[in-house]
Amino acid sequence: MIEQPLVIELLLAFSFTLALIFAYLAVMERDLIRAVVFAAGQSIAFAYAYYLLFAPDIVLAYIAVGVGIYSMILIFAISKTERYEKV
Amino acid sequence: MKAKTLEEEKTHEVIIGAGIAILLILTVFAIILGVTGYTPSENIRPLAQFYLYYAMNTFKKELWAATPEAVNSMVWDYRGYDTLFETSVFFLAVIGAVSVLRLPGVKDVVSKGILSGRGLSLIVKVITKFIVAFILIVAISIAIHGNLTPGGGFQAGAAVSIASLIGLAAFSRIFLEERHVTTKLMLPIRVLGVVGIGLVALVPAFIALSGILVFAMQNQPKVWAPNFGFPPGFGDFWLSGNQFYYNFFEFLAVGAGFTVIYLMYSIPEYFYKEVLGKK
Repeated sequence: MIEQPLVIELLLAFSFTLALIFAYLAVMERDLIRAVVFAAGQSIAFAYAYYLLFAPDIVLAYIAVGVGIYSMILIFAISKTERYEKV
Repeated sequence: MKAKTLEEEKTHEVIIGAGIAILLILTVFAIILGVTGYTPSENIRPLAQFYLYYAMNTFKKELWAATPEAVNSMVWDYRGYDTLFETSVFFLAVIGAVSVLRLPGVKDVVSKGILSGRGLSLIVKVITKFIVAFILIVAISIAIHGNLTPGGGFQAGAAVSIASLIGLAAFSRIFLEERHVTTKLMLPIRVLGVVGIGLVALVPAFIALSGILVFAMQNQPKVWAPNFGFPPGFGDFWLSGNQFYYNFFEFLAVGAGFTVIYLMYSIPEYFYKEVLGKK
C-alpha cells in the first residue's frame, strides 16, 4: 500500500524531537509570554505527529486547543500576574 | 545558596547540552526501531475491522451508521453515550468557569465607556478581518461536513471560538460586543446546543411511546430495533441520520462555551476589584 514507511518514521522522529526542544525551551524560558509561544510550538509539532499517524480528526481539535485556547488561557493568567519569572 | 563560579556554570551547561543531545539521538533511534509500532500499522484490530466494514456498508444495513467517516460513526453512533456525557461534562465545566469569574450584581459586562481598548495596528486589524472570515467559513464547513470528512462538532466549535479569540486580541471587547458577541447571547446559544443534542438523543424515546421497540440515541435501524431510523439523507444532501444534527448542535455548544470563557477572562482585574470592592 504505502511504500515509504521509513520516510514517515523519520518525519515522526523529527516532529517528536522538535516537540522535545520546544518543551525544553518552554521550561527554561524566564519570559513567560515567550514560554507560552514555545509551548504552542510544541503543540504544532505534536499536531504534525498526529497528522503523520493518520489522525486528522485529532489534528483539527489539537491545533485549535493546543495553539489557540491553551495559549489564550495562559496569556490571560499571565496578564493577571507578572510577565517575568523571578528565581 | 552560594554563588556559582564561572567554571561550575560552564560544566553545568555542558552536562545539560550533552544530556539533551543523547536524549534526542535516543528518541530518533527508538522511533526508527519501531517504538510507536509500524506506521502505518499493517494489522487492523478486529474492533477497527468491524467499524471500517459496517460504517458505510450499504449492502449490510442491519448494523451500519450511514457515515462514510468511521471516526464520526464511532463518536456519535456506536459509542454515542461517551460523547453525550463528554458534552455534559464540558457544559458543567463552562458553568463552573462562569460562576468562578462572575461579577455579582452585574448582569452583563458591557465595556462601552468603562473598558476602552484601541487594539493592535491597522495592518493587523485588516488582516485579522480576512482571517476571521476564513476561520468562520472553515469552521462551519468542518461542522456540517463532520459526518463526511474528518472533523465534527467539537473541532468546529474549537475553531470558531478561535475567530472570537483573535477578534478579542486584535481589536477589543467592544469590537465583539458591537457585533453581539456577548455573554448574554452566547450563554443561550450554548444551552440551545446542549438541549438540541439532548432532544435528538431522546427522539427515539418519544417514538417508543407509540409502542415501537427503539433504544436511546438510535441512528439507523439495527437488528434488535429494526423499525426506526433517522432518514440517512435527502437526495444529494447526506445527513448520516442524526449525526448531522449532533455535529451542528455540538458546534453551537462548544463554540459558544469557549467564547463565553474568553469573554469572562478578558474582563481586567481592576474591574473585578472595583465591583467587588463596593460590596
